[in-house]
Amino acid sequence: MAKKAKGKKPTFFADPQVDKLMAIVMALAGEVSVLRERLDTVERLIESKGLLTRQEIEAYRPNSQAAEEREQWRMEYIARILRVIHEELEAVEWGETMPESYEAAVQAVSS
Amino acid sequence: MIYEQTQHEMLPHVTHDELARQNFVQSLKVHLATAVSPGNKVVYEKRAKPRFEREHKRAPQDRHDVRRVMKDESYYQTWSALLRTSQEMMWDSVAASVERQLPVLIAKAKRNEKPLGSLTLNPQLPIPAYHTAVDIHCQPGAYHTETTADDVAAGAIYDRAVHVYAMGRMGPMNDDLGASLAAYVKQQYPNFQPYRILDMGCSVGHSTIPYVDTYPEAEVHAIEIGAPMLRYAHARAEVLGKRVYFSQQNAERTNFADGSFDLVVSHILLHETSRTAIRNIIRECHRLLKPGGMMLHVEVPQYHGMDPYDSFILDWDTYNNNEPFWGTLHDMDLVELATSGGFAQEKVIQTTIPSAFKMARSRTGLFQGGDFGGGGAWFVFGAVK
Repeated sequence: MAKKAKGKKPTFFADPQVDKLMAIVMALAGEVSVLRERLDTVERLIESKGLLTRQEIEAYRPNSQAAEEREQWRMEYIARILRVIHEELEAVEWGETMPESYEAAVQAVSS
Repeated sequence: MIYEQTQHEMLPHVTHDELARQNFVQSLKVHLATAVSPGNKVVYEKRAKPRFEREHKRAPQDRHDVRRVMKDESYYQTWSALLRTSQEMMWDSVAASVERQLPVLIAKAKRNEKPLGSLTLNPQLPIPAYHTAVDIHCQPGAYHTETTADDVAAGAIYDRAVHVYAMGRMGPMNDDLGASLAAYVKQQYPNFQPYRILDMGCSVGHSTIPYVDTYPEAEVHAIEIGAPMLRYAHARAEVLGKRVYFSQQNAERTNFADGSFDLVVSHILLHETSRTAIRNIIRECHRLLKPGGMMLHVEVPQYHGMDPYDSFILDWDTYNNNEPFWGTLHDMDLVELATSGGFAQEKVIQTTIPSAFKMARSRTGLFQGGDFGGGGAWFVFGAVK
């Protein structure tokens, strides 16, 4: 499945790099929220079942399998955060880097 | 009031993280619509409009004047960048979830032993240029793209994404457009008894189902150009126990006989067509209706008579959300459009109807880009034959 929607992506700032940075920051903010929600679930369940103390969580160290699984997760996490960069490349590959390419679509349906 | 989406059997499941990711996008959209977007008007009144008046020795006259001066405003730039980003994150968060479970969804969609309704696909149907030029509202692959046999991905993605996009304000079944219009017809025309109803551009049938419920005696047909949408729509209607006859057709020219329908409706279809196509669609509505029958199309309000700023902010999607025909449609003379399609001038309907879920949370009471359904009301254009 394609990740990027066909059509020239608009930019809003004088420097388009700022648009890119904004998208990266918001993706990061989203993932912090995802993490916070999961952590909240876990802590509430733990609390309700009386299974763990907060000190045990603080003292935890991963074994090698857990460490590998975490590495795999981080790789996917970084790819998600840098989505906008990957899509920029798709735009280049699809030849959508010129502003006229979107204007042409407006004209095509309006004439 | 918070409307959680109904977890019907076809709706993709979400993992804990997928749901949290979609929740974040929805919360971000609510924040932008309620706490950031209205600030654009302040920036316009305090900064952009005076700047325009100084430079041009006149007030901004239309949405184009407003856009030219607002595009340099830092606040507007930031809101726009955040809104566009929220749209891309929305599709991304839903598509990743659907892709993970696609084989299961395809298998579920095929499991219809004794269907109530039907599904008729036409793989030869040409996908019109206005759907292939850009991916409408930035859904990667739009309505029609298929990447595997019996693909339902576009439909599954759309079903979930509409709920995130509308911030739940379309109701638990995403059916606010159809539910609002069906309720309006029932109330406004109590003696009108449609026996055959056609929903044009039905996508996954969100707005089709309310007609099955409102007019249980009627035969309800629905057409759409995208096969993955239709496969999902059919499967969804079946798990909901609703009888709908779906077929893959272009609303510009269908295979139904003249005078086949008492009621022809569409919901946010017209702005996703073209200047040529919309005339064909209105003419086709006229051909399909019996004498005394009615066509009704739900949209957001036309720009005519609107304050230049209000039309500018409602027009954001035209330039920034892959909705290239949005602005042109909302500038069109709808009376002329209807009469050119064969309807009498005095039979043209243009009105505003209340949303069926007007009590939903986070209504802004505004018609603005990225705040779809915020107004709590819809514009209806139509005519009686």
